[in-house]
Amino acid sequence: MTNPGTLVVNPDAASADSRFVAPELVALDAKGAPRLIGGRCAKCSAVSFPRAAVCTECLSEEVAETELAHEGKLYSFSVVHQAPRGWTVPYALGYVDLSDDVRVLAHIDAPAEQLSIDMPLRLSVGAVGIDTAGVPLLSYTFTPV
Amino acid sequence: MRDVCVIGTGLVPFGKYPDKTLAEIGWPAVREAILESGVPPKQIDAVYCGTALGGMLAGQRVMKSLGVTGMSIINVENACSSSSSALAEAWTAVASGRHDVVVVVGVEKLTKFGGGTLPLEKEDWEVNQGMVMPALYAMRARRYMHEYGLTARQLGEVAVKAHDHGALNPNAQIRKRVTIEEVMASRPVADPFTLWHCCPTGDGAAAVIIASGDVARRHKTDPVRVTASEVTSGLYTNGYRDMTWAELTARGAKEAYEMAGVGPADVDVAEIHDAFTIAELMYYEAFGFCERGHAYELLASGATSLGGDICVNPSGGLLSRGHPVGATGAAQAVEIVRQLEGRAGAHQVEGARVGLAHATGGGIAGLDHGACSIHIFAR
Repeated sequence: MTNPGTLVVNPDAASADSRFVAPELVALDAKGAPRLIGGRCAKCSAVSFPRAAVCTECLSEEVAETELAHEGKLYSFSVVHQAPRGWTVPYALGYVDLSDDVRVLAHIDAPAEQLSIDMPLRLSVGAVGIDTAGVPLLSYTFTPV
Repeated sequence: MRDVCVIGTGLVPFGKYPDKTLAEIGWPAVREAILESGVPPKQIDAVYCGTALGGMLAGQRVMKSLGVTGMSIINVENACSSSSSALAEAWTAVASGRHDVVVVVGVEKLTKFGGGTLPLEKEDWEVNQGMVMPALYAMRARRYMHEYGLTARQLGEVAVKAHDHGALNPNAQIRKRVTIEEVMASRPVADPFTLWHCCPTGDGAAAVIIASGDVARRHKTDPVRVTASEVTSGLYTNGYRDMTWAELTARGAKEAYEMAGVGPADVDVAEIHDAFTIAELMYYEAFGFCERGHAYELLASGATSLGGDICVNPSGGLLSRGHPVGATGAAQAVEIVRQLEGRAGAHQVEGARVGLAHATGGGIAGLDHGACSIHIFAR
């Protein structure tokens, strides 16, 4: 896996002039598909996202990077119309329950009228805002399956 | 543990005071509480000041304005529970015998941020993905609506009730009734919330003076007692959480009821943390005022309105009285004490003997809420 902060990703979604909001959370596989980087405790196997520095189940510091599931269900969502500067409003925000029992907050890349509770979603990458220097911001997102 | 009573209350009407400093907003509340108590300032053993965003030494800045200094001054930050947590620390100090007379003040100035949603901690990974407080509550609302068949219009009736109450409260930030049509037609903030589903931001301060029972009875006959005082934090999880159930508040409520030796049926008046409409309904259930999934029926029955069996947020609550974050817990305490003393005026809950105050909040990834503080008062 490669850290997207250091390379140009999916040409449809990014360019050398864009950057990830939190590059430590996302990696791209050989085909350029996004993967969420979580943590797995070497002692007790507990999974964390973002990768925990210390395991919240057993306090071990041996938490290795692990690739999380890239499909999940939409637990709930809201279309946000008022947000701090930088975010492109309106945007849909949702909690996605991944198949490995991790809950991830993400932008949901779908028209508001298509959103429904428990709908299946797949990991993607999308533009979510613009930083103070005018550079487009990317993040992991989810799209309907 | 000793008896703890409230002997003075002070409140600055919540609103927008962009031209005042934090200290200028805060001192009138403390002054009013001191004068009301009749306690000479020299007898104040300690000050606990709650503020979330007021910066360093807020308590010292407020107290030096009054020239009342030299005692222990502790500043408490716990997001929306800041001054209720300050009250809990003060309660412990008095109950344990360490101090006899303690000032609790909550003060906040949100106008310095220029409006919009509350600035959240940038270290939080969810905040970095676009989380804002309205969205967090909106997601609770959306899931609750899905599971229990609640409609956005029914949810909006919480705001109508809040403003019916707030219109009667001279200290409320918004003193205006709204209709359900106005709630539905106002601008969207975070679907399903329109503007009227959300508490306003603003500035304000509130203060109470608490004392040991012995000292209190020298100054007052039949003072209001603080019969439960507790603070809890959310439980961290990485995975699934049932967002339709306010676990943190329910856990705190159970502890508080046990401490006070009362149950939900004994509560006459409650000030609960209705930062957004859905919050009030979820807290009806967490406090045991009704069964899970039945909060709207309780609201629609009128039981939680003025004149009902369990009046919730007679002050107008956060939605109408306002929510200068760190000042809210102290303002709730002031409201409940004045209710139990029968001096709440036009929004008086007749014959109230047992009251409850609840401040919870703080958007933080992985927790239901950061903090929750509950107090029960009785007379």
